[in-house]
Amino acid sequence: MTAETSTIYLLDKVVGTAVEAELRDAIEEAQLVDWQTKWQPALIVVLQELARQRVPMAQWPQSWHWDWRAKMTQVAGLLAFRGFSVLCAGVTQGLMRVDLNKHAREPGQKGKPLVYIDYLEVAPWNRTDLGKTARYGGVGTALLSAAVELSLQEDFKGRIGLHSLPQSDGFYRDRCGMTDLGADAQYQGLMYFEMTTEQARTFLDEENGV
Amino acid sequence: MKLERSKEWWLTRARREGDATVGAGLLALDAKPDSHTGTSTGAAEEARIAFGRFVNLMRRRRGLSVERLAELAELDASEILIIEDDVHYVPEPRTVFRLAQTFQVSQPRLMQIAGLAVVSDAGLRQEAVRFAARSEALQKLTPEENAALEAFVAVLSQEDLKKVK
Amino acid sequence: MMTKRTMTLNLTDAEMRALEELSAKKELTKTAVIRQALRLYQTIEARVLKGEKLVFENDATKEKAELMLL
Repeated sequence: MTAETSTIYLLDKVVGTAVEAELRDAIEEAQLVDWQTKWQPALIVVLQELARQRVPMAQWPQSWHWDWRAKMTQVAGLLAFRGFSVLCAGVTQGLMRVDLNKHAREPGQKGKPLVYIDYLEVAPWNRTDLGKTARYGGVGTALLSAAVELSLQEDFKGRIGLHSLPQSDGFYRDRCGMTDLGADAQYQGLMYFEMTTEQARTFLDEENGV
Repeated sequence: MKLERSKEWWLTRARREGDATVGAGLLALDAKPDSHTGTSTGAAEEARIAFGRFVNLMRRRRGLSVERLAELAELDASEILIIEDDVHYVPEPRTVFRLAQTFQVSQPRLMQIAGLAVVSDAGLRQEAVRFAARSEALQKLTPEENAALEAFVAVLSQEDLKKVK
Repeated sequence: MMTKRTMTLNLTDAEMRALEELSAKKELTKTAVIRQALRLYQTIEARVLKGEKLVFENDATKEKAELMLL
């Protein structure tokens, strides 16, 4: 199974210009190597600084302990799980794993299949919550768009679902227009969001560039 | 799966993302202190303070960075960071095993200090509390820190605790 | 990933009806229903092989009933 790539564009926040990037519909060895050799060291530096400053752990970036290699090994060979990655300048900028087995809870679409985002993470240097200027903007959005597109292609009508990392609540609710279904006691109190068919149409709308 | 859109389409959305940090997914490890302190007693926490300090001091005494220790002990650097810093964190048994091996101290005893085994030894707990009280988290090991560390290592290595002090 | 192969399915009337019902309920084409069933079957199989159990729980009574697979 060869991965398909799409040309996308990100914002180079340091230089202030657009930069061409790649969206791949897989997470392959090269991406896992990047995660291990580039993301981890960068993250350790940040965490050490946070530890040094005695910042309480509750305020640390909450996905710092995710093991992407383990996450992908766990679902290797299973049709229901897909990986997506964003690459720029030859380096992995973001990763996402989705599950096609789950169903919607939102009253208007209850019981209907959706693309559930198991994990979505952007590289440490692209995060805005680590006290430094982020490098590339649009990586998370690109992965989210891929999830919605997959939902359309699998006949799930654009429906997606996810549990938001605490710092991202506002983004899903206000900037993506997703429905906030509240804190989920079964999932560590994380906020659960869903995108309906209507919301997906707006989100991926070719015409509506704004 | 392909997704084809114009350059402008992508850039509009990238700009709309703005300063938001985008992420989603279950936290495999609940970093929030609340869920760990639920059942832990003050005594267990005190022992874990000693555990974190112990790891920190042993590492610094050898002049090791967190990454280097991680390499030597075949562990995740991020887990070592959390061990040294968070008294609420209960480490994996394998981690304690690897640290005991790396620092050459008794694994069962370190397990008790780390909160992974019931402290069967009141004496050990006392020593752990003493050690925690005596040691301070400073950049360089002070003579006091060194002495405290030596005493604690002795405690962890001794066959019979009654022989110490 | 893009190359797809065609298969002919021989279904009984009852099976066809069930497929059509699910298709309507889930808002999926019949092909999509079959693909979804395949995914679910494969995932369940993989987890049961790992030693997990597939269980139904009665929300009201909290009674559990295991779905025997394999």
